[in-house]
Amino acid sequence: MRLKILRIIIATAFLIIVLDLIYVQLIRGFYYHRLSINNRIRVIPFEGKRGRILDRNGVVLADNRISFDVMVTPQEMTGGKEELFALLSQVLGLEPEILWQRFNQKRSAPFAPVVIAEDISRHQVFLLEENRFRFPSLLIQENYRRLYPAREIGSHALGYVSKASPSQIQKLKAYGYTVEGLTGYAGVEEYYDAYLQGESGGLQVEVNSRGQQVRLLGIREPQSGKDVQLTIDSRIQRIAVESLQGATGTVIVMDMDTGEILGMVSSPAYDPNIFSDAKESQKTAAIFADPSSPMLNRAIKGLYPPGSVFKLPLAFAGLSNTLIDTSTTFECHGYFQLGQRQIRCVHTHGPQRLIEAIAHSCNVYFINTGLKVESDLMAKYARQFGLGQLTHIDLPFESGGLIPSQSQRRLSLKKSWYKGDTANLAIGQGEILVTPLQLLRMLAIIGRNGMEIQPFMVKAIDNQDVKRSYVPRRVAIDQKIFQIIKEGLHAAVTDEHGTARVLNIPGLFTAGKTGTAQSAPLRNHHAWFVGYTLSDKRRIVYCVFLEYGGSSYYATRAAYDMLVKMQKENII
Amino acid sequence: MTRNLTQTVWICTLAIVTMGLLSLYSASYENVRVPHEIFYDQLLCVILGFLLMFFLGRIDYRKFYDLAYVLYILNIILLILVLVGGRYALGARRWFEVGGVSFQPSELTKLAMILLLGRYFSQYKPVRSLRYLGTMYVLWRELLFPFLLTLIPALLIFKQPDLGSAILIFGIFLTIVFLSGVDYRFIGGFLIVCLLASPFAWHILKPYQKDRLLVFLNPNVDPLGAGYTIIQSKIAVGSGQLFGKGWLSGTQNQLNFLPERHTDFIFSVIGEEWGLIGTLFLVVCYFVLIRTAIKIAEQNKDRFGALVTLGIVGILALQVTINVGMVLGLCPVVGITLPLVSYGRTSFIVFIIMMGFLLNLSRKRIVF
Repeated sequence: MRLKILRIIIATAFLIIVLDLIYVQLIRGFYYHRLSINNRIRVIPFEGKRGRILDRNGVVLADNRISFDVMVTPQEMTGGKEELFALLSQVLGLEPEILWQRFNQKRSAPFAPVVIAEDISRHQVFLLEENRFRFPSLLIQENYRRLYPAREIGSHALGYVSKASPSQIQKLKAYGYTVEGLTGYAGVEEYYDAYLQGESGGLQVEVNSRGQQVRLLGIREPQSGKDVQLTIDSRIQRIAVESLQGATGTVIVMDMDTGEILGMVSSPAYDPNIFSDAKESQKTAAIFADPSSPMLNRAIKGLYPPGSVFKLPLAFAGLSNTLIDTSTTFECHGYFQLGQRQIRCVHTHGPQRLIEAIAHSCNVYFINTGLKVESDLMAKYARQFGLGQLTHIDLPFESGGLIPSQSQRRLSLKKSWYKGDTANLAIGQGEILVTPLQLLRMLAIIGRNGMEIQPFMVKAIDNQDVKRSYVPRRVAIDQKIFQIIKEGLHAAVTDEHGTARVLNIPGLFTAGKTGTAQSAPLRNHHAWFVGYTLSDKRRIVYCVFLEYGGSSYYATRAAYDMLVKMQKENII
Repeated sequence: MTRNLTQTVWICTLAIVTMGLLSLYSASYENVRVPHEIFYDQLLCVILGFLLMFFLGRIDYRKFYDLAYVLYILNIILLILVLVGGRYALGARRWFEVGGVSFQPSELTKLAMILLLGRYFSQYKPVRSLRYLGTMYVLWRELLFPFLLTLIPALLIFKQPDLGSAILIFGIFLTIVFLSGVDYRFIGGFLIVCLLASPFAWHILKPYQKDRLLVFLNPNVDPLGAGYTIIQSKIAVGSGQLFGKGWLSGTQNQLNFLPERHTDFIFSVIGEEWGLIGTLFLVVCYFVLIRTAIKIAEQNKDRFGALVTLGIVGILALQVTINVGMVLGLCPVVGITLPLVSYGRTSFIVFIIMMGFLLNLSRKRIVF
């Protein structure tokens, strides 16, 4: 009887063991098998070389330079640790404690070399190489670092390269990015990161329980990224920066026939080299904290009221809906009386017709027109020219902006619209916000008699021209109206009282519109000039914007400097 | 019939020992942390052991009946000596050096206790009726005195410290007391007292022993410390899947992820390299061996012989299930070897002696 109980107990115990063996080895076997593989296989990544960025003529805008990093492999650090760190401290000029601290902070696995110092000088490389034979754990690793030869010039269009942030890693993990990897930030570096990014290779090693390398399982060579050629002309970039003369603002130049961005600068600018240079990393914090926002690309992300430039879509709205015609005349007394409020004009222009009003940028004429057209129709025409809408240029972080109107305000804010708002909108003031690139695109559409255009930055990737499937549409406005407006724009340059008369340069056909937009109280106005210039060589459209630049005169001066220099250098 | 039982004992022992040798060869193959010498060491033990087993099968086991008390007292002396002057290794005093060969008295205790209790209970047959003798007298004779005899070596072993072996000594005691026919009320009462005393027992445990028990409840509380072994051994066994990774090809084993893989965790090496097929084969071998031993006990007319056989059944079943359960995370890690497989000279010799007894007893069934 008791023997039977013993038999049952033993049989039960063995049954439990057999069932658990089946569970662990068969049912969960695959899971444990994967765990055992993860246990023993490690990957040491090698970064691929990042693709270069070239301008339209092949001038290198972003390159890779070779730098030397000092590394120490923990696994091979047998004996002589103190001497090794003493040598490193002597050569690098750093306290041994700091080096130890770095070493202990960064070490991850015995076989993985730890970076002790980045980007050391050639002289230091020689000093260390001489002692390599004494310390098998010492490694001098060649690495690539991003180099921007033009430094500040055009930095916003290019962007910069830096170590990927943890949040970025989460997002990009699926695409094979690793913690130590470099990622493009802002500008072309970010937008075309997938092409520029090299494919990282690496070593696959088998390790034992202490993480020491037992054998090499495989190796994969890293692949270089692809070169990206921009539509940018580095000469125009330089000229644009010079013509801004250090003022805050932006200059954009675009080919009116193709939509290629020839120049795009924003000021103040930053030196993108500091993000890839270990020695200058302290400067990055200062740049991010700078109240003048040097990181902001004002060309595509800066939002400003367009001022008088907005009179152009208003004129289109008036003419298309036959609310005005070329002979409609409004008398300018130097101000417009709206209830208690006086809206001033620049001069007392007297009786004005459309062409003169555009050339002189007469506020009185356009407020009268605006009151006839009404806000909703103005906003409709503004949107037809792409104001308040993304241009979808191939750069990250573009802003959309806002075109207010009566129905917009009623729908989104549930507030009333007043006559004064209509008057404000007519001269591009108030809540309206656009980007410089949007105004540039509007001028291009006008210059192309209503044919829309897509601005873009990249001409070719890996020597292959980028094919664009963009099919331009025509704005649904009568061709004759375009001729009238263009006449007005040209008159602004040729008329002896035209607002942009300084731009009347021999040999160049220039047309454009100035704008002076009220900014914050007690601050200078924003200055605009948006126009196009035709020559035998090229038809360009450009936008010069000076933030708090005062009168639009300064913007036309900057545009003049730029055109003259471009003419001198045979670009136009 | 006799022949068959003898044959089965031989075949199972040979199979188990061979598997053990192969896995020890593999566990020490890379010669990292587990030196390769242990294989040859064990091989020597195996050869000596089989000779011993062969001869034990031929001599009269009743000679051990006379030796039981002598062996018991000798063992107690050895246990005291090892506490005083034993070799200190792995945080415990468990070994003696005798002529350059280390020796573990606690393993011998298992054999001594089986013989002692077998002799004791074959002398004092438990009474069915308590009427003629006082209850206290019966209780003392049938339970408390043998318990005291067990407690002395058990406490000495626990002091070393070696929790696993101490538990096994109690296992032998319980098995023999249960099977010798002691009154259920006594056994029940004894177990209840043990259960009530267990919270106090917690306090006399060493911190690392407590850790192991806590880790058993949840290995992930300390994955790099006490839980490491159990996590890695489960990965090893599980990753073997059906057919195993092949002899000498277990990555967990060869790359040193398994601590104590030549002693307590040898089963995980087998699981990883031989897969379910290997582990089932080994477990079935043990099971058949135990079944055969029970059959031998059943057929044995001599009470001493039957009780000794059942004692061997008890220790074998306990060690196999606890060791495998430990590797699979079903039991806490208490440091119990896998009989006839784990590396360890004393342990191996003691178990091979037990197998010799089984051989012997399988023949001697018609003595009376």
